[in-house]
Amino acid sequence: MNSALLIGVVASSVMSGTSLLYATIGEIVGERAGIVNLGLEGIMLIGAATGFAATALTGDAYLGVAAAALAGTAVNLIFAYLVIGRHANQLATGLTLMFFGLGLSALIGRPFLGTLIAGLPKLRLLGLGIMGNPLLSFDVLVYLAVPAAVLVWWLLFRTTWGLGLRAVGENPVAAVAAGLSPSRLQYQALGLAGLLGGIAGAHLSLAVTMTWAEGMTAGRGFIAIALVIFAKWNPLWAIAGALLFGGAESLQLQLQAAGADVSPFIMNMVPYLLTLAVLIAWGWRSQGAAPAALGRNFVGVE
Amino acid sequence: MARKLFFLGLILGALTAFFAAAPLSAQQKPPLVVGAIFVGSVNDYGYNRSMKDGLDEMAHAIPGLKLLEAENVPETAESERIMEGMIQQGAKLIFATSFGHQQFAFNLAKTHPDVYFEHAGGWMMSHNFGNFFGATQSAWYPMGVAAGKMTKSNTLGFVVGVPIGYAIGNVNAFEMGARSVNPKAVTRVVVTGGWSDKAKEAAATNALIDQGADVVTMHVDSPATIIQTAESRGVYSIGFQSITAAQLAPKGWITGLGFTWGPFMTGIAKSVIAGTFKPAFVREGLGQMMAIAPFGAAVPPDVRTLVMASADQVEKGFNPFTGPVTDNTGAVRIPAGQSWGGDKMGNFDWYVDGVIGKAK
Repeated sequence: MNSALLIGVVASSVMSGTSLLYATIGEIVGERAGIVNLGLEGIMLIGAATGFAATALTGDAYLGVAAAALAGTAVNLIFAYLVIGRHANQLATGLTLMFFGLGLSALIGRPFLGTLIAGLPKLRLLGLGIMGNPLLSFDVLVYLAVPAAVLVWWLLFRTTWGLGLRAVGENPVAAVAAGLSPSRLQYQALGLAGLLGGIAGAHLSLAVTMTWAEGMTAGRGFIAIALVIFAKWNPLWAIAGALLFGGAESLQLQLQAAGADVSPFIMNMVPYLLTLAVLIAWGWRSQGAAPAALGRNFVGVE
Repeated sequence: MARKLFFLGLILGALTAFFAAAPLSAQQKPPLVVGAIFVGSVNDYGYNRSMKDGLDEMAHAIPGLKLLEAENVPETAESERIMEGMIQQGAKLIFATSFGHQQFAFNLAKTHPDVYFEHAGGWMMSHNFGNFFGATQSAWYPMGVAAGKMTKSNTLGFVVGVPIGYAIGNVNAFEMGARSVNPKAVTRVVVTGGWSDKAKEAAATNALIDQGADVVTMHVDSPATIIQTAESRGVYSIGFQSITAAQLAPKGWITGLGFTWGPFMTGIAKSVIAGTFKPAFVREGLGQMMAIAPFGAAVPPDVRTLVMASADQVEKGFNPFTGPVTDNTGAVRIPAGQSWGGDKMGNFDWYVDGVIGKAK
């Protein structure tokens, strides 16, 4: 492996892993509170479109990220109302949300197709710029991704709020007995999940591609949902999962560019084969890690 | 009383008929209603934009022609319903502009024998169904000439969506063009596995640049992401599909290859109006359905002259796929004295010598 390949793989894995990481830790927060959101793909698309539109209008990519986070939160709260407030089926509502996101993002992004933006500025952080390679300087969302995962881990596992949230995901009846309000905690969890999902989409459109295109997440929302299982609902493991998948994708592209003697069809399957393999290998071990009340609507105590 | 009512009725009837008829006589009936479906958005700086430009040129050339358009039409039975709706609105000519629309347009051609269909890129034919496309491969040769002259690293990068025969042929002609002016030029190929996966296109472009490519080009639906990524990394780019993509790369743009469908579409519309439509399998190259985009500021005059001379040769019938042609494993694929033309252009499953990549 030559050094150009190595640096390229590292730079490109980090870039493609970042949006996956934000999306995965967002989904973890929601699932820890007992709610599966299959509409993550739609939330990411809305984030990508809104972030791009706001950036194109204001010329400031940071405002774009903020707009994406807000839009993600707002739309995920609609989902929250349906599954928490109206007790709608989580899987069906999630899939509907995915299609809603696909349509809404197309509508939002339509006037901005083909618009040129400068994208999120690349920052050279102290220490990280030392290698002197411009390829190893990233945008702010990359630098904040791992701290965000650690922060979410801390919130979930080291605060009273997180304890209550996890209690709701394991046994909402017991949570009520402990004086907690499951629905309030679930709304908060899904709000945070939407915020992170929106940022995940914004990273794709503002930093990775600097383009808006319809359906541009291309299934990454679903990969993130698979990574939640890989990560055993733990944000710290999600870091490894996102890097692994992002790494597999960029490694196969880099190997193609380097002229590896492997069919491009097989190369393009590698990240997905890897995801499957990991799910098969970890699946049975993950069973115990899933929140006990995951996917079940809490309709109150008798 | 009855007579009065009768006259009143008569007057009312006449008035109604007059007002109902008035809009018809005031508004001239269009000479032809044309329906067109696009697989994506027409603002893609790419394939769909080129189709839209062609249709607009046709509408401009035939005064009064009415154009019905639908974007983002999937390559499913949904497209059949959309085209059916256009026929209900009076369309007598339909342009189905994406490869996957073929079967659905053909179904309608059978049930609507009085409506004419033109499909882009396919092979099906019937008395009211023709198809057309650009002869892209030979037109890629001058692009290779441009790239071969502009590269400093002698490494060119080509992002391919799906390695179908046509796309492989484009890569081959590109590399052959580059070799014709720069024997050291190699083309590295990265396949993303889809015609429109933007994040992967960006990563693929970066991968090619990491491996030394200083000119990047592509065969995907919209060149926007790849050209912008190349521009942000400070390398040259060559566009494909629509000749409007230059504005995406003010610094690194070399040139591009685009489709110019206007004259063909105008001719077809006129033949439908005149009742002389003849179905045909049309493949036209540079000077007809394909054009070379304006050069970027970075391209010196001698390179421009060289590229235009090569384009002129292609227009006059020069075929780069004239034997002997060897593939990148050293095997002779087109023996001396033979050449590959029109019908074989979709058959490539091998890369020519100088391309770094695997075709299958």
